Amino acid sequence: MATPIERIRNFSIVAHIDHGKSTLADRLLELTGTVALREMKEQTLDTMDIERERGITIKAVAVRMNYRASDGQDYELNLIDTPGHVDFSYEVSRSLAACEGALLLVDAAQGVEAQTLANAYKAIEANLEIIPVINKIDLPSADIESAKRQIEDIIGLDAEGAILTSAKEGRGAREVLEAVVHRIPSPRGNRNAPLRALIFDAIYNSYRGVIVFVRVVDGAMRAGSKVLMMSMNQKYEVDELGVLTPGLTPGDSLEAGEVGYVICNIKTLQSIKIGDTITDAQNPAKTPLPGYKDVQPVVFCGMYPAVATDFEELRDALERLQLNDSAFVFQADSSDALGLGFRLGFLGLLHMEIVQERLEREFNLTLVSTMPNVAYHIIKVSGEEFIIENASKMPPPGEIEVIEEPYIEADILCPTEYLSAVIELCKKKRGIHVRVDYIDSKRCMAVYQMPLAEIVLDFYDRLKTLTRGYGSLEYRIIGYRPGELVKLDLLLNGEPVDALSSIVHRDRAVMLGRRLASRLRKAIPRQQFEVAIQAAIGSRIIVRETIKPLRKNVTAKCYGGDITRKRKLLEKQKEGKRRMKQIGLVEVPQEAFMALLRVDEDD
Amino acid sequence: MIGAYIHIPYCRTLCPYCDFCSVDIPGAVPSAYVQAVCQEILTFRHSRAVATIFFGGGTPSLVEEAGLRRIVDALRHKFRIAEDCEITIEANPDDVTAALVEGWKRVGINRVSLGVQSFDDATLRYLGRRHDAATAVRACGLVADTFDNWGMDLIFGAQPVDAWPETLEQCIAVQPKHVSAYGLTYEPETPFAARSHDAVDDETWLGLYRQAAARLAEYDHYEISNYAMAGYHCRHNLIYWRNQEYAGFGAAAYSFIDSVRARNPADIERYTAHPGLKEESICLTDREIRVETLIQHFRLREGIEKAAFARRFGCEIRPEFAAALDGLIERGLLWEDEERIAPTARGFELNNEIGLAIVG
Repeated sequence: MATPIERIRNFSIVAHIDHGKSTLADRLLELTGTVALREMKEQTLDTMDIERERGITIKAVAVRMNYRASDGQDYELNLIDTPGHVDFSYEVSRSLAACEGALLLVDAAQGVEAQTLANAYKAIEANLEIIPVINKIDLPSADIESAKRQIEDIIGLDAEGAILTSAKEGRGAREVLEAVVHRIPSPRGNRNAPLRALIFDAIYNSYRGVIVFVRVVDGAMRAGSKVLMMSMNQKYEVDELGVLTPGLTPGDSLEAGEVGYVICNIKTLQSIKIGDTITDAQNPAKTPLPGYKDVQPVVFCGMYPAVATDFEELRDALERLQLNDSAFVFQADSSDALGLGFRLGFLGLLHMEIVQERLEREFNLTLVSTMPNVAYHIIKVSGEEFIIENASKMPPPGEIEVIEEPYIEADILCPTEYLSAVIELCKKKRGIHVRVDYIDSKRCMAVYQMPLAEIVLDFYDRLKTLTRGYGSLEYRIIGYRPGELVKLDLLLNGEPVDALSSIVHRDRAVMLGRRLASRLRKAIPRQQFEVAIQAAIGSRIIVRETIKPLRKNVTAKCYGGDITRKRKLLEKQKEGKRRMKQIGLVEVPQEAFMALLRVDEDD
Repeated sequence: MIGAYIHIPYCRTLCPYCDFCSVDIPGAVPSAYVQAVCQEILTFRHSRAVATIFFGGGTPSLVEEAGLRRIVDALRHKFRIAEDCEITIEANPDDVTAALVEGWKRVGINRVSLGVQSFDDATLRYLGRRHDAATAVRACGLVADTFDNWGMDLIFGAQPVDAWPETLEQCIAVQPKHVSAYGLTYEPETPFAARSHDAVDDETWLGLYRQAAARLAEYDHYEISNYAMAGYHCRHNLIYWRNQEYAGFGAAAYSFIDSVRARNPADIERYTAHPGLKEESICLTDREIRVETLIQHFRLREGIEKAAFARRFGCEIRPEFAAALDGLIERGLLWEDEERIAPTARGFELNNEIGLAIVG
């Protein structure tokens, strides 16, 4: 029996990272008996190891809870989890589209942060009923009044009815459930209309294929029925559908207002589109639901197998990884220096790190990655226009009319005492001041427009350091703008290394070239022969560094007991060398490529 | 044929740079230890002909004549000892007396290796040695009077660095048949680890190493750190460098027989309580033995004879090691002719680079 639509509530929890979202979710599951206590691993909603280790949620997941409210009625509550990191903000919008309400979770000690704000705005945009929840009230540093004031002043929401919780101690969880029932509206939808279900997420499972998460908006979907994916124009038969409790629990149908999963023999995530509308193949709806915009990768890097023969393995790994992360893109690429590899596009730097880590961990590959970069829009003198995702693809300077680079607008929240340091940092990063809003006497928000390329490197780490962890960042892409950009090349023993070239601002090219060369000198171990490192703009060499040759490397004594120990030591050193890439005669360690990432610290 | 090594883990005082297994004792080596070594020899599982015997340490010159005799007798009882067996003892200069040296002769020892380290008093103090230069010269004389086949160990790179040429001069003056010249290393877990800031830079090290090679040009520079007059190469150590079989007796001693590398307990009490008990035994794969054999042979100027390798392992060096060897030849660290592959002079100085290429 389907739950009557008026007794369904679909909601999300939106919060800044670390404000206790997963813990609160756990308490709600516990209280509704959805997960037996002994079965509960800590933080049930974070399923991947990497997620748990990094304390972030990457994939949104939906869970159904049954709850008998104080009015004596049984309600079906669907909690749709959302990720917390800025790289994955597109997933937040997707999840919110499936909800009528959201809990806005704010840490009582930290107050409103940049992502609280960004996610709250997304919830407001999606027309959701928002219930402020002030969490971690058990902390000695909790300041409930200030948190309320920030919710009112910064976000502009009435914090009068804010619920006070300590998810860690389980306080306030029942009040949260009551508020969900009484304050969030039930879904609107016509159960008699033709089926329209919104795909808000999907995951790949190696046994079941693609598992699609849907919110049924109109009509009903039944097991065994034929369905049509409207924008992909693909028909499927529904093999299984049901709800998540949080494990897959099969059922006969999903009715308007309900949230659940659908499995219909879909082999790859590429075959479906998040935001697509599923309708009945026999009795299709006239118009699809409003979808989402496609997500475009903004950060790119090259990944090369450390051992050239692993190229095919890397391709397999990428294809398999893409089965459960459709947000990254890749294409085969070749570098003179690094051989055959791939060019990958990501949603952000964290996304890039996660993909790289998963490739190494789950597929046991040793990779060499190049410095991440953004895409550039090139307009040639000939009038030809194109986008390059790789500095080595840049045409010669004489052929270029304009180079445009992507800009973002960043909201940076921080305590006022750090404002001048933050402004200083933004200026250094070619930031254009938009405004500074003072939230209260203690906190403010600086709004800056700046090149995405500046954020890609180390902006976030620097911001955290400058503000002792109190600063937070949220940004959105605002388009391409022309810039005074040049290609900076690095040469090893006189040969340009394509994988080490980058596009940088003209005014900073010399300084960056110096730092990169110096970094490289420190990262490349001594070799048998002298290594010259040069940085160049076009044909102009701007700096030269030299790595002196290895003079001696010998073990003075090697007798009976030393032999196997020595071999093992050599093998261990060799293992470290596997991460090295032979460029010409020079062995360059992976760290050398990564060392270039942190170019802004003082050398 | 195997080499037999006997470890004597006792010293009068411990040298602060040394990471070999040893403890300090005031008097002679306890007879219980000698007893344990004999028991280990007599109950050894393998029976082989013994080509060399080597008393190392520690300080073997702290074993009394009777103790040495018991051990040599045990070896003779257990193994067939080759007619021309090389029997070496390592000795500390300040232990050496005419009587002691005579005793060695009586026991059957025919080769002495003196731990001179330096002929410079300041260097000897820096190294924490008990003897001074005069004592070292006297010890050399006493040993040379009785033994034709004798040599000394020297250390370079210790402070003061510039005393090295004079030490080399004095060494040549007393005409040892064999010289081992080791670069000082500041081993972790020794008192010297805390002084590693004293270590000379690579350039200086190389200068000192090359000084030794130049000054000892009359000798055959047959291993990275070893020099010998014709016919006086240390046959026992050649067994290690050719990765042949050996049996080690005593605390912390290693054996390599039938592909198994085994280690005795380093703890003397534990060793004495259960002589023959192995602390660790590793059965090496054929590949590991081939790798170790090449690495060891490339410590030797003679390198490896290609036909000998093929005879020993039933396969040619190439193709298995072709890429590594060709790379090393191209880098000028190895040379090759019809008969053998061997390190160049740079191949000695960058020997670990050879090892790294071989293990890969």
